[in-house]
Amino acid sequence: MKHSRYLLLLATLLMVGCGTTSKLNKAKAYKGMYEEKPISVLIMPPINRSTNVDAKEYFHTTLNVPILNAGYYVIPPFLSMEILKRESAYDSELFIEKPSLKIFNEIFGADAALFTIINKWDKSSLASQVTVEVEYILKSTHTSDVLYSRKGTIIYNTSVSSGGNILISIVASAINTAATKYVDVARAANSYIFTDLPKGKYSPTHALDKEEMAGLKVIKVRLPR
Amino acid sequence: MRKYIYSVILVLAFSSCGAPKGLYSWDKYEQASYNYLKKADDKSIDQIMQQYQKVIENQKGTRQTTPPGMFADYGFFLIQKGEVKAGKANLKKEIALYPESKIFIDRILKLVE
Repeated sequence: MKHSRYLLLLATLLMVGCGTTSKLNKAKAYKGMYEEKPISVLIMPPINRSTNVDAKEYFHTTLNVPILNAGYYVIPPFLSMEILKRESAYDSELFIEKPSLKIFNEIFGADAALFTIINKWDKSSLASQVTVEVEYILKSTHTSDVLYSRKGTIIYNTSVSSGGNILISIVASAINTAATKYVDVARAANSYIFTDLPKGKYSPTHALDKEEMAGLKVIKVRLPR
Repeated sequence: MRKYIYSVILVLAFSSCGAPKGLYSWDKYEQASYNYLKKADDKSIDQIMQQYQKVIENQKGTRQTTPPGMFADYGFFLIQKGEVKAGKANLKKEIALYPESKIFIDRILKLVE
């Protein structure tokens, strides 16, 4: 009895630990991932709906590492970028609603295609913060089903605390805003979004994470916390 | 038995959130990719090629093997520099290490010929 109480306490701690858990476990939340067991992922060029024209390219470079770290094969990013450009397929808007994505399986051998939509990519110097809002949609190239989708907003506060000296604080904040690259914020967004991704073939916990609680579909994080 | 349950929970606690586990080490590969896309000048190309070498040869991740895509993208840069033979050799290493890349990389090898 005593022990079950400890277990309950531990379980509760686990759930509040991440702060963003839903009531579903991963087996239920990401059913398609466990059924289809995708091995290789093609990163589609991001769809940019923000006002920042450079966002597409910059965000593109931040995506392969977190998916590789989760244990998947990612189609070589620079090589695939080149081929997508050559085949006039560099605009993902053309494909995201397509009923069939089989072509990406035929050309790249990909089991899944990762679409990303950048809704916001703004820097506000007045409030010294950077806001990045991105939607991630992983679709099967075999069935076109959505295997994993989450939306994240990261608000990065660039002001630096300097122990109460207001003048130093203002100067430090200005320098820090200038130095903050959007990519750092994008990386933070990626790491929040992909911590929930069921682990792939090359991870030691592949297929063992079904019972873990899934995170929320829509997350909003202020950094630094 | 009880110990076992607790240790499973502990492992879950550490794996469910927080720091990435580190299947691979990346050195400065991410910055180099970003710089290359931003500038695409000789310096940024040299920089990213150095990073491929480091990630390929000096892997400190738990898998202790070259991450997917690295041989292939490195090969692609070598081919663009005119080092076709070395480039193709790297593309073939990608297939050997990751057979799931064969469909795509064979296509590239045909394009290069």
